[in-house]
Amino acid sequence: MRDKPIVNDSMAAPALDPATPVIRLEGITKEYPMGEELVRALKGVDLTIGRNELVAVMGPSGSGKSTLMNILGCLDVPTAGRYWLDGEDVAGMTQSALARVRGRRIGFVFQTFELLPRQTALRNVELPLTYTGALDRRGRAVEALERVGLADRMSHRPSQMSGGQRQRVAIARALVQRPSLLLADEPTGNLDTQTGDEILNLFADLHREGQTIVIVTHEPDVAARCERIVRIRDGMVESDTTTEQPDALP
Amino acid sequence: MMILPNVQNALEQLWSHKLRSLLTVLGIIIAVTSTITVVGVIQGFTTYVAEFLQGLGTNAMWVWPERPPGEAGKRLGRIELDEHDVEAIERGCPALARVSPLVVRQTAKLRYGREEITIPIEGCSAEYHAIRNFPVNVGRPFAVVDVERAHQVCVVGREVLRKLNLDEDIVGDFLLLQGRRFRVIGILEEKGSFLGNSQDNLVLVPYTMALKIYPSARRKMAITAQAVSEKAVPEARAQIVNLLRRRHALSAYQPNDFNVLTQDEILEAFNKMSLVATVVLAGIVGISLLVGGIGIMNVMLVSVTERTREIGLRKAVGARRRDILLQFLTEAVALSVVGGGLGIALGYALCSLASLHPQMVDVVVPWWAVALGFGISATTGVVFGLVPAAKAALLNPIDALRHE
Repeated sequence: MRDKPIVNDSMAAPALDPATPVIRLEGITKEYPMGEELVRALKGVDLTIGRNELVAVMGPSGSGKSTLMNILGCLDVPTAGRYWLDGEDVAGMTQSALARVRGRRIGFVFQTFELLPRQTALRNVELPLTYTGALDRRGRAVEALERVGLADRMSHRPSQMSGGQRQRVAIARALVQRPSLLLADEPTGNLDTQTGDEILNLFADLHREGQTIVIVTHEPDVAARCERIVRIRDGMVESDTTTEQPDALP
Repeated sequence: MMILPNVQNALEQLWSHKLRSLLTVLGIIIAVTSTITVVGVIQGFTTYVAEFLQGLGTNAMWVWPERPPGEAGKRLGRIELDEHDVEAIERGCPALARVSPLVVRQTAKLRYGREEITIPIEGCSAEYHAIRNFPVNVGRPFAVVDVERAHQVCVVGREVLRKLNLDEDIVGDFLLLQGRRFRVIGILEEKGSFLGNSQDNLVLVPYTMALKIYPSARRKMAITAQAVSEKAVPEARAQIVNLLRRRHALSAYQPNDFNVLTQDEILEAFNKMSLVATVVLAGIVGISLLVGGIGIMNVMLVSVTERTREIGLRKAVGARRRDILLQFLTEAVALSVVGGGLGIALGYALCSLASLHPQMVDVVVPWWAVALGFGISATTGVVFGLVPAAKAALLNPIDALRHE
């Protein structure tokens, strides 16, 4: 019923060759029927994202950006092509195995935070750990909340917190499993500019500490804070630019 | 996901929708309450009836003349059972240990001083006390000579003393019974009441004397008898039936012109009654469970829809289908088990309330009825929670996260 409890971090962050890319996509296509027609959302995407990169994925709506994000997050499986996450082929995995990959290797941050409204920040952050049977859930959740600067808000409910604080709780929840990939979908979309900046600063800090982060956004300001921008158009990678700005982050 | 966080989560969900939860589990509450109450009452009555039957005597049976129902009964001539029949039964039934004739009248006038009461009277023989387990504990019981010589003596029940404001000193004194002077020779041991009727409200006289007071009873006598053992009861019954049929010259196609009732048959009649009660109970429980179960299913379906985004999120952070299935199933079961718990509490309350009534038996709720209550409520939760839980488990995480 339950997976073996994680005793140390070796499973959350497998002992991999640091040279192994976190994400490697090869010829990813995704088609799905919509009414009579077959929509080709992705038409052969090749993409490699290495460890400790901070990447923005941009694209207009309908570009296939969301589909790509769902596949990167293992929420969806490609129609064809291959996807290695941490060197593990996840393209042909079962639902159950994908859930496990999501739980252990990917931390999601959503535009609308998606916190459980009746539960405290601490309980919200503990949530992913309940599905992997991790030991010391509380301790790890506390650690994650401290990391995002909410040590004093642990017993608050989402309704008692500001938008920025809520997003920090969501980030703590994404970090609690020490994922290989932090996948953020418009993380500042529901925040004012200043709060959004604070969240981006937090991402920058995490990046400096070695976290691999992919931010899906349509805001150029957000993308400008990333060192690499991947633009998607019509289901294909339009451009992939790396801006050398090692010290551009505040 | 582990069980404990699931249960905690389920109880929190329940608590955060208190009114909705309560209304939802009403059907379950009714089902479990009726189970507990009816089982308790039937159990109480079973114990009570068993005790009452014990009190009626040991391996006792009764015989009385009775016209059988229907055409065949109408064609029979006079329906009689006389002293000769009684004598024949005493002599001709080896499976019987004791026999006492019975002459019963419900309304005899009993007078002491200025007090007069109406009371049931029973004419019997000296064997009566032993057959009915109804001994005399003050004074003496009937002696054979009292019966043979038709002495004007009587034995009274305790209720008679209370009604006439007498004490035990009445033994040796005289009472006026249907205008005749009877000497009180003994007082019966207290037997208590059955279904609100005092069993101590009677006067016993020798049956020979009773026949003098009620001469018409000579042709309509009854008998109470005791079989030699429990095993011999059917045999004794058969002997009585054969003997009386022969004596009354009934041919093979004619029904009995008398009736024989044994203690077992009383118990059987009661068991039939409790079976009917059980069947009615099962009907009520079945319908309430169905209604309650559908209520739970409905509310769980609403809950799944309301919490679609939560389900999407849980899947995104690593919940597998079975985790979600288990979560919602746990909620459904928690809901129905809380309903079952309330039902058990309510059932207990009703039972103790019923027991407060003076003419009610002591209602005892057996432990297995509590287990049954929890069992049926939990099962209902599982059965009716399955569809909503499966619906939740099969949600696509992408669609669920996009749900408005």
